[in-house]
Amino acid sequence: MSTMTEIAVESGYAPQISEKDRILKARAVALAKQPEEKKVKDESIEVVEFKLSHENYGIESSYVREVYPLKELTPVPCTPPFVLGIINVRGKILPVIDLRKFFDLPENGLDDTNRAIIVQNGRMEFGILADVVLEVHSIPLTEIQPPLPTFTGIRAEYIRGVTKERLAVLDIEKILSDKKIIVHEEI
Amino acid sequence: MDKKEEEFLKKLISIFKVEAIEHVNAITSGLIDLEKADANLQMGHIETIFREAHSLKGAARSVNLKEIESICQAMESVFSALKRNEIITSPQLFDMLHQAVDLVSKLISKNEEITVLEKSQIKEIIKRLEDILKDASVTPHQSSIIEKKEEENKTKVSEPDFSSMHSEPPELKSDIPENSQIQAPLITETVRISTVKLDSLLLQAEELVSLKLATGQHTTELQKINTVFTLWKRELAKAHEDIQIGQSSLETKDTVIYHNAKFLEILDPNNAGIKSLESKLTALAKSAQIDQRSLDGMVDNLLDDMKKVLMLPFSSLLGVFPKLVRDLSHDQGKDVDLMIQGEEIEIDRRILEEMKDPLIHLVRNCIDHGIEKPQVRDLKKKSPRGTVKIVITAKDSNKIEILVSDDGAGCDASELKSAAVKRGIISQKDASKLNEKEALSLVFVSGFSTSPIITDVSGRGLGLAIVHEKVEKLNGIISFETKIDSGSTFRIVIPLTLATFRGLLVYVNEQMFAIPVINVERVVRVKKDEIRTVEGLDTISLDGQIVSMVRLENVLELGGGEKNKTDDNVHVVVLRSGEKRMAYIVDEIVHEQEVLVKSLGKQLSRVRNIIGATILGNGKIAPILNVNDLMRSAVKVTYASAQAEEVLKDKPKRKSILEVDDSITARTLLKNILESAGYDVKTAVDGVDAFSALQTQEFDIIVSDVDMPRMNGFDLTSKIRNDRKLSELPVVLVTGLESRGDKERGIEVGANAYIVKSSFDQSNLLEVIQRLI
Repeated sequence: MSTMTEIAVESGYAPQISEKDRILKARAVALAKQPEEKKVKDESIEVVEFKLSHENYGIESSYVREVYPLKELTPVPCTPPFVLGIINVRGKILPVIDLRKFFDLPENGLDDTNRAIIVQNGRMEFGILADVVLEVHSIPLTEIQPPLPTFTGIRAEYIRGVTKERLAVLDIEKILSDKKIIVHEEI
Repeated sequence: MDKKEEEFLKKLISIFKVEAIEHVNAITSGLIDLEKADANLQMGHIETIFREAHSLKGAARSVNLKEIESICQAMESVFSALKRNEIITSPQLFDMLHQAVDLVSKLISKNEEITVLEKSQIKEIIKRLEDILKDASVTPHQSSIIEKKEEENKTKVSEPDFSSMHSEPPELKSDIPENSQIQAPLITETVRISTVKLDSLLLQAEELVSLKLATGQHTTELQKINTVFTLWKRELAKAHEDIQIGQSSLETKDTVIYHNAKFLEILDPNNAGIKSLESKLTALAKSAQIDQRSLDGMVDNLLDDMKKVLMLPFSSLLGVFPKLVRDLSHDQGKDVDLMIQGEEIEIDRRILEEMKDPLIHLVRNCIDHGIEKPQVRDLKKKSPRGTVKIVITAKDSNKIEILVSDDGAGCDASELKSAAVKRGIISQKDASKLNEKEALSLVFVSGFSTSPIITDVSGRGLGLAIVHEKVEKLNGIISFETKIDSGSTFRIVIPLTLATFRGLLVYVNEQMFAIPVINVERVVRVKKDEIRTVEGLDTISLDGQIVSMVRLENVLELGGGEKNKTDDNVHVVVLRSGEKRMAYIVDEIVHEQEVLVKSLGKQLSRVRNIIGATILGNGKIAPILNVNDLMRSAVKVTYASAQAEEVLKDKPKRKSILEVDDSITARTLLKNILESAGYDVKTAVDGVDAFSALQTQEFDIIVSDVDMPRMNGFDLTSKIRNDRKLSELPVVLVTGLESRGDKERGIEVGANAYIVKSSFDQSNLLEVIQRLI
């Protein structure tokens, strides 16, 4: 385009006024157009990647409030196995959920390097056990494959998709709003 | 962009809801005031309600809630007509307006789309409000003059016009009981706090800044001390080394003397380094002490004031009561005045919220069981209008008393005893042993009711038991007094604030737990050989009383099992909850301290045996035990094995139900529901069919429709009651909404329950069936 203009200017071409109007209008329309297609291609989510039992998982970062060292974990009796315990996050008590129980992952012991990824959506808040928190990076939506057909039951429910790097992106909104995850037991 | 807008709209709607509820409450209380007011004061109330309705309309329009807007519009027209004296107030008009307000409040609290049913309700109510105006324009003043004369008497001692009430569409009426539940969750969302309280809080928070600065200062000081100490230590180390070298090598005497002198100088108490260390440490210790003292004061004051912020007057809770009383008494054809005293008394918001349902229940109980119908009151030479009183008084430090009383029928102890025996709560023999006070406390036992029949609102005997439990949970007490023909009084004493909680810290299975001190009766060491088993259960003897004993770790499902401790003694905590008392073995008793109860987080909404957790001084967490739960769990643990055997012996037989209904749709629907609830179901098409089925087969219960050809539900019931073989068979009558008034008839013929049919939710029915068989 620019070279065209240069040539036109050099060759002494001067458009008519009406012609000028038409070109300007056309350009204005072209500029006003939203780059739709490009947007779809570029749409991506930012995830916090972490390791749990040698597997890599991702949680959309907008749901992550903070990553907290898993120290002084206090187990709570009479709770289902997926409740690892409670931790003290600056004076507030938060439960920590053990996803390994949902995904049948092998359990290696906990130590000082473990982390709790604190997730929340306004209505619910808890920590998710992680062995190591790796990094935050963005993944284009197009690179997230739907869950594999072999994923059944709770896996299919809680996993949003898998990337080429075998990173399982959790459907954290679903996990947070799942009624099954709430412990409410009367005697 | 769209998402943002959506979020904004969401936020806007939530703001609207809070505002709208305030308007609705103002309209409701305005309507009640208006109905009671003298003619010359009515105008003021009308004006207030008119303005509230107008504001609500405007607010609804701004969030595009057309339905609410249109109902408000219709109400507004009625009020402006009232203002212009074009129409006149009447009980029917009030009913209609209340229904309109109820509908609005239902729509406000709704999050989903408006259903077709609701749409028709909205249309209906608007139409009826408009009709009033039309009627008025046809006969503008004639009727109003006549009514006006009677007005004062009529609104005060009104004989409600039931013929007109029954002709109303039933679905509108059924909204009324729900109303209180709808508003409940909204109360928690915002709290109004006086600015004075807030200012004081801010001031105190600001004072904390000085402590923050002081802490920074201390840190700097400590770092300086550390530097001085390090320097001194380095010198010391150097001198120490010199002397060692000096001793082991061939140094001259002079050098040794020099080194020794140097060493002594460093160790000299008057050494500059040591002196400066000493003075710095002294100063730091002193200022730390001062800080600690002022921090103590500040934190305590802040906590106190914060608690005051959490205090709300009772009026914030009792606002719905006049309406509740009006609706309930109307429904039952009774005339009831509500008197509230002491509503300005403030109490912890959390306690207030907990007390809402119990108070509603008690008031409902007073109207249901206490106040008699006007005719009956007349016979007893009482004023035809009954009174329900709620009186709140501040008792000695940190306690308040709530009296809920009525001037109705009352009852006597023997009546209660026989009702309890009839319901199978106690045996005749035990009943005769009870003294009057004990007999009166029977009303709080689950399953107790004096009502001869179960209906949707009462008779299940759960309400007072729940009230009792709630009050106890708040560490309060409730008692019941009654005198025949002069009325009944429920007396509740509850704490004003959720007192700072004291906890007894114990170790169980290497984990620390806190037990609420209020539940701890005593802590004892018991010799192992003092434990005796009775019927296979461990017991100990305390002050001559036998107390059963369990291991806390077993109750908490911590496993571990019996530990072979060499110690001959075990540590025992004796806990009490209500009437129950039990001894629990723990591994170690640490000490008692003030603890702050924290919730376990939203995900752990309620955990068995654990009420919350507290953070100890060292940052560790100790779960707090729920003693009420422990008592129940302990019973389960100890009886678990025994019960398991029983279950094996006595295989649960499926209960059989005979379902009678002339509509095939209703029959099939209900059959499905009952079968999926685990019952064997046979059906019959009417009373005659049912009665012949009863001759050939045994059933555990009958669920019957009322209106049926050949033989209706009432006739069927009375036939069953008069049959020698069948007379004990439980009968549940299920009726359409249009005939809910026939409850009396149901009692007369001897039905056990009378349930209003609801096409979607059958949990009510299932619960009743479960209770009866």
